[in-house]
Amino acid sequence: MPGTDLITIINNKQPNFKAIAVTIPYADEIVIQVKAEDFRKVCLVLHESLSSPVMAFFAVDDRQKQAKFTIYCYFLNIPQGQWVAVSLDIPSVDPYFDSLAKDIYSAHLFEREIWEMFGLEPRGNPDLRRLRLHDEVWPTGNYPLRKDFREIIAGEKKDYKFARVEGEGIFEVPVGPVHAGIIGPGHFRFSVAGEPIIHLESRLGFTHRGVEKLFEGKSLAAGLLLAECVSGDSVIAHSLAYSLAAEKIAGITIGKKTAYCRAIVLELERMYNHVNDIGGIALDVGFSFPAALAAIIKESILQANEKLTGSRYLKGMNKLGGISLEMNPEQQEELTAALSKIKEDFTALVEILDNSVSFVDRVDGTGTLKMEIAEDLGVLGLAGRAAGVKIDLRKHFPSLYHEAKHKIITGRAGDVLARLKVRIEEFNESGRLIAEFLNKISSAETEDSKINPVSGKALGYSEGWRGPVLYWLKTNPAGIIERCKITDPSFHNWPGLSYAVIGEIIPDFPLCNKSFDLSYAGNDL
Amino acid sequence: MKLLMILVGIIIAPLLGGLITKIKNDLRMRQGQSILQPYYNLAKYFNKGEVVSGTASWIFRIAPFVIFASALASLFYLGEFLALIFIFSLGRFFLSLAALDTGSTFGGMGSSREMFISSLSEPVACLACFAVSLQSGSTDLLAWKSFPLATISALIAGVALFLVMIAETARIPIDNQETHLELTMIHEAMILEYSGRSLALIELASYIRQMVWILIIAQVLLPVADPVGITGLPLILWGFWYAVRVILVAIVISLLEIAVAKMRLFRAVDFFGFGFVLAAIAALCAVLGY
Repeated sequence: MPGTDLITIINNKQPNFKAIAVTIPYADEIVIQVKAEDFRKVCLVLHESLSSPVMAFFAVDDRQKQAKFTIYCYFLNIPQGQWVAVSLDIPSVDPYFDSLAKDIYSAHLFEREIWEMFGLEPRGNPDLRRLRLHDEVWPTGNYPLRKDFREIIAGEKKDYKFARVEGEGIFEVPVGPVHAGIIGPGHFRFSVAGEPIIHLESRLGFTHRGVEKLFEGKSLAAGLLLAECVSGDSVIAHSLAYSLAAEKIAGITIGKKTAYCRAIVLELERMYNHVNDIGGIALDVGFSFPAALAAIIKESILQANEKLTGSRYLKGMNKLGGISLEMNPEQQEELTAALSKIKEDFTALVEILDNSVSFVDRVDGTGTLKMEIAEDLGVLGLAGRAAGVKIDLRKHFPSLYHEAKHKIITGRAGDVLARLKVRIEEFNESGRLIAEFLNKISSAETEDSKINPVSGKALGYSEGWRGPVLYWLKTNPAGIIERCKITDPSFHNWPGLSYAVIGEIIPDFPLCNKSFDLSYAGNDL
Repeated sequence: MKLLMILVGIIIAPLLGGLITKIKNDLRMRQGQSILQPYYNLAKYFNKGEVVSGTASWIFRIAPFVIFASALASLFYLGEFLALIFIFSLGRFFLSLAALDTGSTFGGMGSSREMFISSLSEPVACLACFAVSLQSGSTDLLAWKSFPLATISALIAGVALFLVMIAETARIPIDNQETHLELTMIHEAMILEYSGRSLALIELASYIRQMVWILIIAQVLLPVADPVGITGLPLILWGFWYAVRVILVAIVISLLEIAVAKMRLFRAVDFFGFGFVLAAIAALCAVLGY
């Protein structure tokens, strides 16, 4: 039986547990199918023994063929470099499952999502308010990700209830969703005592576009174009995660040169976003000179992007099974030259920031997210690493990054300064990685593969600049997408922001917010 | 003569704002807006309609006029610091009331922060002015006569007044005029609800207030005599030097705004604590005759 060691681990804690089936569809994925009464227990054991947050948790509507829903809960097995999924079939009549939320915080938003989109009740979850289908607009009883959903059925509309903090001198400060700057829409409800923040509830979902539904019925190739548009600042991260899922389904292994090219553009995306955020952090504390310098660096990276790929934001060059990048020696030289200039400017930028007392005073100790809290909340990616959570998908799965001796960059304090430092170091590390990749790419061969329509399901993933981006795809025999679940790191990390600002004063919120720099589009889908 | 001065003051004040922005943009390697942009903005606001919140009372409507009138009065009593401090307080008081009046989130936050800041900055301003007037024997700061160089006491008092001016003109490190972050605003938060002509009046008043502060600081740090009885080339030179001093102060403001980050709101206590100590030292020096 495959996956014996995992089952042994579970049996140590739950001696009576027997899986319905254990399958290893791909080398990096293992799926444990369980009975309804075991679901919660198994997830708890995996969560603890793998010390992994819930990485993705979603439902699939299989009622047309098998009269059931299926839910999948994905964990990350870091030492083995493997995704561990727990799957459960739920009958279509009175569908429910046992909630994990009270024991695993990182499951709670996923459960609310499953409830609002599929109508599967996470029994035992104390908070079933909707995330994206705002009650003022969407009547109850509409479950848009069900296959039989056609249009909004009229029904009761309700008001959203914010968590309330009461007491003498406590005020509520509502902010957004329309802000003074040109940024994404989000509503923030602060409970404050004077300036210090006691509680923050963020209400998102204003940019909900039904992206996951849009994927359904598309061919794999058409889906790729859509994946690039899910979050405009993470084009490559989403594109790579999607294409990995599609390639796993189609059984394609990409050529070495494609792998190098993809890694290079992924790092370029990381670099321009990191320097953008460094400038943003400086700007948010009114330190405009380094902000201007950061803008210049970002622009040079975007121009390098355009020269290399024809697109400033790296759109449209990734393909399924390949990549339409020539990467001839001239381009490689140009990129190397551009990067060395960029590195020079970046060093100057870091020096200005490091040497400014007034700046360091602002970021040091502001917006602290401690490691224990970050782990409990399931905060991932950059924000998690700044708090000491050592999760970086580039490291955990065999890839080119191993050859290039990639190091996970972590901080400890979890404050704005730590997130800034992680960005700075990752920027430098990305520059180094690109140089390594460019050295090796000339010896790599080109080979493009074609995708044939097949049915299957697989999880694709990539470590974007913000954190892990996950795509779970299911196709029918004609190669048409039946279900696509996207998990952007923003979805994991928004609760982290709410915790990080507790005790800070209101005027420091924008700074904390910028240091996380989470995506509205990626979260709202 | 006084009326002419007020008129010139109104006309020139926005230019000073445009100049500071221009210098800042040059320092940041940006092309930036024209030095005349404040005039275009004011003209635009004056020609626009107004939106007034339904919950606003008469205070919201009259506040811009009171604020503008206080700015005009500050030009009238230019240099007379006892009058100036009260005149500015009047404008600030009405602006804070008006910001509370609409009941919006940001107005209230802006008002409370403005009151917090001004409660710290006013004692500094008073003490520093006293230090200067102890030596000049007059409450008129512009009548300060210690040419061509200021005394030690006046220099220290001038620095303390400079710190006050930073707060009064909503500049870094206390406030940030350029920010788009509504949660961090102080002055901007209070005028968020204003539009059209009312906004134009408030903005113009802010420019005038800024110019008055810069004139006072220029006079305390780099004093010049009144041009009584001089004509011809010396008068032109006098006028030139008079303007250069003002521009020098504007350059220092711009440099400071570029060189430091905005401080945490509650750090303002330390900032003005420092200012108060400076002002106290200045007063001590003045008593000792330095």
